[in-house]
Amino acid sequence: MNSTVPLLGLETEYGIIREDLADSDPVEESMALLKRCEQKSVFKCWAYNRERTHLDMRGFTVSHLAQDEEEDEFCAEDRKRSYSYWEMKSDRVLTNGARFYNDHTHPEYSTPECASVMDLIAHDLAGEHIVRECVRLRNQDLDGAPLQVFKNNTDYSGHSYGTHDNYLIPRRLDFDVWIRNLVPFLITRQLYAGSGKVGFEGKSEPFTGLQLSQRSDFIETVLSIETMTQRPIVNTRDEPHATPDRFRRLHLILGDANMSPYATALKVGVTRLVLTLIGEEKLAPPPDLADPVDDVKRISRDRTGTVALKRQEGGTISALEIQEWYLEQVHQNKGVFEDTAERDWVLNEWERTLNDLRHHPEKLADRIDWAIKESLFMDFLKSEGLTWDDPLMQSLDLEYHNLDLERGLFNGLVESGEVVTLVPPRDVETAVDHAPENTRAHIRGQMVGQERDNIRSIHWTGVEFTNGEYLDLTDIVHPQDVEAVLNSNKELFACK
Amino acid sequence: MNDPLRREEKKESSPDHKDGGPSRPDVSRPGRDDLLKRMKKVDPKQSEKYKQRTGQ
Repeated sequence: MNSTVPLLGLETEYGIIREDLADSDPVEESMALLKRCEQKSVFKCWAYNRERTHLDMRGFTVSHLAQDEEEDEFCAEDRKRSYSYWEMKSDRVLTNGARFYNDHTHPEYSTPECASVMDLIAHDLAGEHIVRECVRLRNQDLDGAPLQVFKNNTDYSGHSYGTHDNYLIPRRLDFDVWIRNLVPFLITRQLYAGSGKVGFEGKSEPFTGLQLSQRSDFIETVLSIETMTQRPIVNTRDEPHATPDRFRRLHLILGDANMSPYATALKVGVTRLVLTLIGEEKLAPPPDLADPVDDVKRISRDRTGTVALKRQEGGTISALEIQEWYLEQVHQNKGVFEDTAERDWVLNEWERTLNDLRHHPEKLADRIDWAIKESLFMDFLKSEGLTWDDPLMQSLDLEYHNLDLERGLFNGLVESGEVVTLVPPRDVETAVDHAPENTRAHIRGQMVGQERDNIRSIHWTGVEFTNGEYLDLTDIVHPQDVEAVLNSNKELFACK
Repeated sequence: MNDPLRREEKKESSPDHKDGGPSRPDVSRPGRDDLLKRMKKVDPKQSEKYKQRTGQ
């Protein structure tokens, strides 16, 4: 329980391809995948009229969101397709409170709102399980295994798709305060949150080898409302999905899709600790960097964490030193945090990981994605006499993220017991069908289970029924709010 | 599902609980050879064929 940052969520866009077709069409394939979902769900009822994607945290509204010319051309072609935009989106809301749909030609799984990091990990893995099951059913239809799906963020040709981590934070502090305190932390957390990428993309300096992060080549500015071009360190979309005068939703789009659940837990858990310190106004002024956008790439290309970053006031500091500074701040203000097992786990593991990076980086190879890749790929390079620039290395990098249990390299490491798995399979199985009981996702999931034929539209913030009644979930943030709704609507929530 | 430490106590693989972190996996890596064999089967052109559209 963390009352300063009460809710967490992850959105994962998956890569998708038909290997038996010369021109695999991601729109067709994503739709076919969603249609094959057998999870009990509310289908094509997402309340798009409740979305507010054009409002900016800086106090203005943009007229449209941008995309690059190539995507403009694709969209013009999409408009000629025989089916509607709604059919393309194929929205599903599941009994576990999650949203599963097509976002910009990628199947996307958005976890239900979670109050604890470990619940979030179980639900992220439940998403993998649900997507994998859809792939199995689709491949059954195709009489083989031509459809493959990847939990990663790039096609190595300059097309990136996101894994967004979301945090409900208090509105009372100015947005500038969050930015000033967060930027040095966010650009350096890739030391443990990066999932690793062979090679480079985009307009940046050429690079050969393994960099820390998949996404860093695509970060172009500090702040922006955009997500498909000019991607920022902090996205400024002001869409709290909760009472707007009490909360903001911090929508971070700079992160990677982690295969390692440990890495996801550390990324989200540490970010939540830092946000809590900022929200409680206990964080000292952090080291101010002169050029944070270029530093994102600089850090990603140095696996030791020691590359010198220029400070605004002169001198330099390393990414590792910045993370150690934030860790020390959390230690100094430990009393700010509620005394929970989650706090202690995150703090201990953060410290252990930074310590290992500084003194024994080889020890990270059982839990941090880029380090797992480094160990595995170095063994392969050695055994095959190859170098990092061999085209096979990017293919291996891609295959690390394949959800197929028989092919995916991370899944092979799980099978052989070489990596930390963190969450027991039974918790993931539970999360496939059931929402966390202490967030509003529980209410949404129960309505999907009980009333799906009577639902006209559904959204993070509420459920509209065909009889005109509306169940408003906007204010349901803390566990006691969930309890109050359940108690005051006993007839609705009675098991049927 | 709220207690991360409870999960660690129930982890199947092994020993090192001294630092309070998750238990350490099997470092003898018996499956590494199998995995290297799996890697040799990967199509070198796989990443080149893997064309996606820009997402968010």
